[in-house]
Amino acid sequence: MSAPLLAARGLAKRFFENTVLDGVSIEIRPGRVHALLGENGAGKSTLINLLSGVLRPDAGSIAIDGTEHAALTPALARELGIAVVQQELSLAPNLSVAENIVMGAVPHRGPFTDYTRLAAETGRLCQRLGLDMPLDTPVDRISLGRRQLIEIAKALYRRPRLLILDEPTSSLTGHEVRILFGLLRELQADGVAILYISHRLNEVLELCDWVTVLRDGQRTADQALDGSDPASLVRLMVGREPGDLFPPRPAHNPGETAIAVRGLVAEGISCVDLELRHGEILGIGGLLGQGQEETLRALFGDLQAKAGEIRLAGQVQRHLTPIRAIEAGIVYVPADRKREAVLLPLSIRFNLTLPSLRRLARRGLRRLQDEARTATDAIRDFAIRVADPAQPTLHLSGGNQQKVAIARWLPLGPRILLLDDPTRGVDVETKREIYLRLRQMAADGVAIVLSSSDTLELIHVADRVAVFRGGRVVAHLDRDQLSEEAIVAASLGVEAELAA
Amino acid sequence: MLASLKRLPGASWLIHPVTLVYLVVIAIWITAGIMKPGFARIGHLRYLLELAAVIGIAAAGQTLVIIAAGIDLSVAAVITFAAILTPIVSVGWDPTGLLGILFVLAITTAIGAVNGVGVVLLRVHPLIITLATATILQGSLLLIAGGSAVSTTNPAVVWLGNERLWGFPVTILTWLVVAAATLVVLHRTVLGGWLYAIGTNPRASRLAGVNAPLTLITVYAISGASAGLAGLLLLGMNRQGYVGIGEPYLLGTIAAVVVGGTSILGGRGSYLGTIAGAILLVTLTALITVVNASPGLRMILFGGLVLAMLLIAGRVQETR
Repeated sequence: MSAPLLAARGLAKRFFENTVLDGVSIEIRPGRVHALLGENGAGKSTLINLLSGVLRPDAGSIAIDGTEHAALTPALARELGIAVVQQELSLAPNLSVAENIVMGAVPHRGPFTDYTRLAAETGRLCQRLGLDMPLDTPVDRISLGRRQLIEIAKALYRRPRLLILDEPTSSLTGHEVRILFGLLRELQADGVAILYISHRLNEVLELCDWVTVLRDGQRTADQALDGSDPASLVRLMVGREPGDLFPPRPAHNPGETAIAVRGLVAEGISCVDLELRHGEILGIGGLLGQGQEETLRALFGDLQAKAGEIRLAGQVQRHLTPIRAIEAGIVYVPADRKREAVLLPLSIRFNLTLPSLRRLARRGLRRLQDEARTATDAIRDFAIRVADPAQPTLHLSGGNQQKVAIARWLPLGPRILLLDDPTRGVDVETKREIYLRLRQMAADGVAIVLSSSDTLELIHVADRVAVFRGGRVVAHLDRDQLSEEAIVAASLGVEAELAA
Repeated sequence: MLASLKRLPGASWLIHPVTLVYLVVIAIWITAGIMKPGFARIGHLRYLLELAAVIGIAAAGQTLVIIAAGIDLSVAAVITFAAILTPIVSVGWDPTGLLGILFVLAITTAIGAVNGVGVVLLRVHPLIITLATATILQGSLLLIAGGSAVSTTNPAVVWLGNERLWGFPVTILTWLVVAAATLVVLHRTVLGGWLYAIGTNPRASRLAGVNAPLTLITVYAISGASAGLAGLLLLGMNRQGYVGIGEPYLLGTIAAVVVGGTSILGGRGSYLGTIAGAILLVTLTALITVVNASPGLRMILFGGLVLAMLLIAGRVQETR
């Protein structure tokens, strides 16, 4: 095999008292797709930041093409051909697709932007990525999945020799994932080195040749992927049998109807029928953007229904608003936790008590002791790992932020819990805890809607699954019908085509 | 230096922007007092605090509005409006003058509430709606008062602006009451909590069940009321109101809020900082007066100093 493009030896990094990376070595070779695995907080992001010059290592060395770079900067790393696609999107929402792709490297003729070249080059890239929207579309009018592809196009525009992808498929549809994989294989054949970070082990097994696993800042494996299976990879990451990711499901015997939806029409939903009972978890599946999020928002009163009816405990609801929904016992955990759920700069305690602020107060006056107690209870009940509840929520890991987004509703004693992709970008341990809590709540009679992009999660956590396509429910799958194939087939409309 | 201070345990309050502003005020008072002995006389400092009271009271509402990520550009117009309207509506048959005061405060509160309704219902940016309100008020004042000054004999207003109670000027006592009330609203009420939430992220707040419309209308109404009260104090101190009397207070209130460490983007800050900001502002104005410059130059100096303070305040916040 060829000489390594990048070789890092004994990298260490500490933030205050926390050792995030402890003597990690990694070798990245041209033409190899290299997987980097590890739970959230294992040190993956820190390692990427070191390799791309964003952070300086406290110890260890990074050599690129055999030359050691003691002071790697982001600019130097870019110059040496390292491109990073971060998990958090960094696009300018008001600028066009094309402008975002070339940002920082605009083709120009003298002081003027060369729009002809810009259009030709970005057009070619977009075509390769299956992006068919006009190049002048502002990015904020584009779905999350496509924005992720644009982010990748932006990295490819610089013709990188090492492409680092951090969870690139977390919001892509199955079709988009196929396009991306095809493109990555082409790049691989051209001799580009790829470092691929993902929580989706099946993708890793399909795509990658080599794997480095991190656990608690240390390397626990560095090996070829041949002959590995998901279970063994998970064991390397967590040091525990993967079988207990999903809690056991009790028998499905739901109580009374909590919500009945008939013929619901709203923006993004053409006609939805649903029934949800107390004590059950209703899964919602389908490709991304098929009306799942809109349905949850309509049930929470955040999206006005244009037609159809929503019945709560038998009563028709008109002009539902979030405030009225909450009063009726419906609560909603949005998918985009940073923009729609958690107030990042404000304290963990404040976030945990915001929904119940009025209920905890007496005549509008806050009772800080009650608030503190409520927050402490929530932190304990949900096992949120917090040093100090007065800290900004910003400092929590993604998984703990997600726990805050869910736990803040508990003091209100909700009867209906709507969750939109609550485990996206969350580490395995937190996922397990969230599943366990959902099960407990369902056992206590709460009616739960779990919309998820993770098919396995739906199969193992939900009691029933409704599959969405084109703004309507195309399949209701009961427990004995639940399988990955059934959900995927319904999402893609395969059955419908067969029937026709 | 700031970075090294930060590492000392328990010293974080020392580099807190609010503390810094108070320290700066004290430093200026001491330095100016040494160089020009008249400056640090109790009488002069008390006078400065009386002037600061007007800014501070008007800035109370402004603080709440800015924490909710809004802004109220109508405070100057509302102050002028209150100062001119009060002499006109104070009726002779009410010997206390309280009726006139209550009437004027009710009207300025209503003006603020209209601002709030505009922000909530019309979804117009607060800059635009409050500026429009200010212009309408200025126009109506020209119609009512015709540009001439109006004197007041309203006993309650005169008492507010000039008398002392237990040795303290009533203006300063009024400010203390307003300050206490504002701090309670901000830090001890649901409304205050909601202000920080809305100022941080309006969408997430709405989805967390925060009643944003009610909160916003209430704070703009409070801003109208506090500007109205500031107008009454100003009228009492001057004994006459005229078009333009409130003018300096627009930049004044915003500067006091921002110098006091409240983020102009909302979601962060406290009225404690605004109090310090107001005192710092009048102190600097007094220094400029001592320099004996022409009125034009004084305004230029004042504007420049406000800019400098904002830059410094911004830096300190970044280093935290």
